[in-house]
Amino acid sequence: MISTDCVAMILAGGQGSRLGVLTTTVAKPAVPFGGKYRIIDFALSNCAHSGIDTVGVLTQYQPLELNTYIGSGNPWDLNRNSGGIYVLPPYQKAESGEWYKGTANAIYQNIEFIDKFNPKYVLILSGDHIYKMNYDEMIRFHEQKGADATVAVIEVPWEEASRFGILTADGESHITEFAEKPAEPKSNLASMGIYVFSWPVLKRYLTMDERNPESSNDFGKNIIPEMLNNSEALYAYGFQGYWKDVGTVQSLWEANMDIIADPPIFEIDDSSWRIFSRNPVKPPHYAAKGAQIINSAVTEGCEIYGTVKHSILFEGVKVGRGAIVEDSIIFPGAVIGENCVISKTIIGNETVISNSCTIGDKTIGEDCYKSKYCSDDISLIGGGLVISEGTKIGINAMVKESI
Amino acid sequence: MKDTMGIILAENPEIRLNELTDIRSVAALPFAGRYRLIDFILSNMVNSGIINVGVTTLFNYSSLMDHVGNGNAWDLNRKTYGLFFLPPYIRGGDMGLGIGPNGGNVDLLYSVMTHLRRSRQSYVLISGGNLVFNTTFEELLNFHKETEADLTVVYHRLTDKPEQLSRTTVYEINDDGRVIGIEHNPKSPKTCYSGMGIYIVERTRLISMIEEAHAKGNHDFIRDVLLGNLQNLNIYAYEHKGFVGRVDSIKSYYDNNMLMLDDDIRRQLFGGENLIYTKVKDQVPTRYGENSAVSDSLIADGCHIDGQVENSIIFRGVNIGKGTVVRNSIIMQNTVINENCDLENVVIDKECTLRPNKRLIGQPNYPVILPKRTMI
Repeated sequence: MISTDCVAMILAGGQGSRLGVLTTTVAKPAVPFGGKYRIIDFALSNCAHSGIDTVGVLTQYQPLELNTYIGSGNPWDLNRNSGGIYVLPPYQKAESGEWYKGTANAIYQNIEFIDKFNPKYVLILSGDHIYKMNYDEMIRFHEQKGADATVAVIEVPWEEASRFGILTADGESHITEFAEKPAEPKSNLASMGIYVFSWPVLKRYLTMDERNPESSNDFGKNIIPEMLNNSEALYAYGFQGYWKDVGTVQSLWEANMDIIADPPIFEIDDSSWRIFSRNPVKPPHYAAKGAQIINSAVTEGCEIYGTVKHSILFEGVKVGRGAIVEDSIIFPGAVIGENCVISKTIIGNETVISNSCTIGDKTIGEDCYKSKYCSDDISLIGGGLVISEGTKIGINAMVKESI
Repeated sequence: MKDTMGIILAENPEIRLNELTDIRSVAALPFAGRYRLIDFILSNMVNSGIINVGVTTLFNYSSLMDHVGNGNAWDLNRKTYGLFFLPPYIRGGDMGLGIGPNGGNVDLLYSVMTHLRRSRQSYVLISGGNLVFNTTFEELLNFHKETEADLTVVYHRLTDKPEQLSRTTVYEINDDGRVIGIEHNPKSPKTCYSGMGIYIVERTRLISMIEEAHAKGNHDFIRDVLLGNLQNLNIYAYEHKGFVGRVDSIKSYYDNNMLMLDDDIRRQLFGGENLIYTKVKDQVPTRYGENSAVSDSLIADGCHIDGQVENSIIFRGVNIGKGTVVRNSIIMQNTVINENCDLENVVIDKECTLRPNKRLIGQPNYPVILPKRTMI
C-alpha cells in the first residue's frame, strides 16, 4: 500500500450566500480574487509550496465552475502520477446516498478515499480564506508535540473575538478551552478553520460523531469540543501573517483592496511563494492615449481608455473613454462603457455596463437596489448582465438582473 | 490537419539582430510584452489541428528550449506525437554534421531526416520562426491538394516596405497560381509577392527532395531545391491575407513591436477565436503606483509602474521607478529602471538594471540596444 505523509482535504462546498449575487452560479471558492485568482488558488498554492501532493476538494454547491477550473490540477503542479488533485462531490452509495451534512460529515463520507493513501495526517482546509501559509511547518509542529489534533490560530482584535471560534491555550500551546463565537471571549486566539489530525484518531471521532443524531457534524461545533472533552492532545499552532475570511461582500472588497494598498497590506508579489492560477490566454493589457491608471492592479487582456483609480481589473476588462472607475473590482471580461462613473462597486464576469451609467453614486444614496448583503457603500452588479445606457444606481445596491 | 506534421526552422543564419540574437535563436526573440516569436507559428500550427511539431535549432537554443519546454503551453505534451525539440547533433564519423557557416535549411532539414522518416503524417508544413501572424492552415492544405502541386509556397503582398521586400524571396505567379519565377533577395523585385518561408509538401516527396539536394552538396532550399527545379516541379503559391509582421532586422523588430499598439492589428492577432499561446509565468497583475502615468502602451503582468510610460512595450516583471520617463521603447522581462531615468527609443533586453538618474536616448530609426543583464 502506498503511504502518504499527509492528505489535504479542502472544504469547498459552501454556497457563501452572504456574497449575494456573486455566488448565485458559482461556489464561494471559485469567486474571482485579486485580479487573476480564484479564492481557492490560495489554499491550493499553499499546498503546492508546502509539498503536499495529495489533495481532495470537497464540492457540493454549484460545482461545475470549480470542477472546470481545477481540471487536472496542473496550474498548481498537482497533476501527479500518484496522488494529485481529486474533486470529491457527494455520491450515491449502496445503502444510502446523501448530501454533505456538515464539514465533518463531508470528511466522514470520504474516509475510503483518505484510507486509500494510508496517511499519517489529514490536513483540513477551507476553500475560502486568503493567506499564505506553510502547512508543512504546522504538520511538523503537530508531530513534535505528539498531538492528536492541531488547530491553526491567529490573534484577532479583542473587539472582534466574539465572531470567531476562540481557543485558550497554556504556555505549551496545549489547548484547554474552545468556545464557538463566545459572548465574552477569554482569549483573542481565533481558530482559522485549519486543522491537522492524526488520521486514525480523526477517523474514530468522525465515526462516533456520525452515530450521534444530535450532532451537526461540524469540526468547530462537534469534533473539536468532543476531543477536548475526552482530553485528547490538542495543540494550537500560532500563525503570524495575513489571513482573511472573505465570507462577506465587505470582507471580500477589503481583502482585494489590501493588495493594492501602498505598501500592500497583503503582498501577493512574492517569487518564493507564488500564487498559482489558471492563466488566461490574453495579450498584455493596453493603456490607450488619454488613459489614467493609478494605485491599481491591472492584468492581461484589459484595454483601458478611461481612468482607473484604486481598483482591481481582472483579465479582459474594457474601460471606455471618459469612464472613471474608482475603488472598484471588475471581474473578468466585464465592459465599462464610455463616460461611466463606477464607484466602490464589484462588477461580475462578462457584465456590460453601457455608456454613461453611474453606479455606487453617493449623491443618490440608497435606492430600490439596496441589499442586505451590501454595506459600507459597496455595490454589487451580478455577472452576465447588461445595464442599459444612462442607468443610475446608488450605494449598498445589488443588481441581479439586466436593467 | 492531423495528417500534417509541422517543422519549425527556429534558426535562420541569414537573420541576425546583433546583441538580441547573439544570445538566442531568432524564434526565441521576446515580442509584444509576453511572447516569443515562435509562439505565433506554434499556435498557428496547433490551432490548425497539427499534433506533431518538430523544432529545429542550430546555435544558442537554450532559451528556446526553456521557453518551449515539453510543449505543455500549446497542448503539445502528447502521448502520440506532440512536440519534438530537434537540436543539432554530431553523427558518427561526421564531426560537425555539415551545418557549417555555409549551411542552410537543406542541411537543417537533412539533420532531422530520422524524425521525418519516423513520422507517419502524409504532409509536412515547414516554416521559419520569425513571423508575427495569426492564421490556420486548412485552406492552404486544401489548395495544395486541389492543385496537385509538388510543393506549395505561402506568400503575402508586401507593398509598403520595399527595402524589406528586397530581403525576401519574391515569386512570379501565373493566373492558375503556379510559380513561374523565383527571385531571392532581389534588388529590383518584379512583383510584391513575398514568400513567407512557409511550404507544404508531401512527406515522402520532401524526404527525396532533401536527400537529393544533400547528395548534390546543396545547402539552400530556395535557391537549390526550388529555383533549381522550377521547370521540373509543380510549385504553386498560396496567398496569406491579413497581418504579417516580419522580423528580420533590429528596425523591423522594433517597428513590429510598436505595431502592437495599433488597436486593429492587436485585435487581429489576439482578439479572435484562435489564441496565441505562450509559456505561463504565474506573474501577479501589474501594480500601478500613486505617480504612474501610462499612455499608448502595452504592459504585461508582474510590473510595478510608478513613472511615466508612453508609446512603449513593457514585458513581464519590469519595474519603472518614480520620476522616470520611458518613451518609444521596448523594455524586456525583469528589467529594473530606478527613479528619475529618462529613456527614449531604446530596446532594453532582459534583466538589466538602470540606477537612478540615467539618461539613454536613441534615434527613431536607430534604437539604442542594451544587452541582457547590463547594469548602468
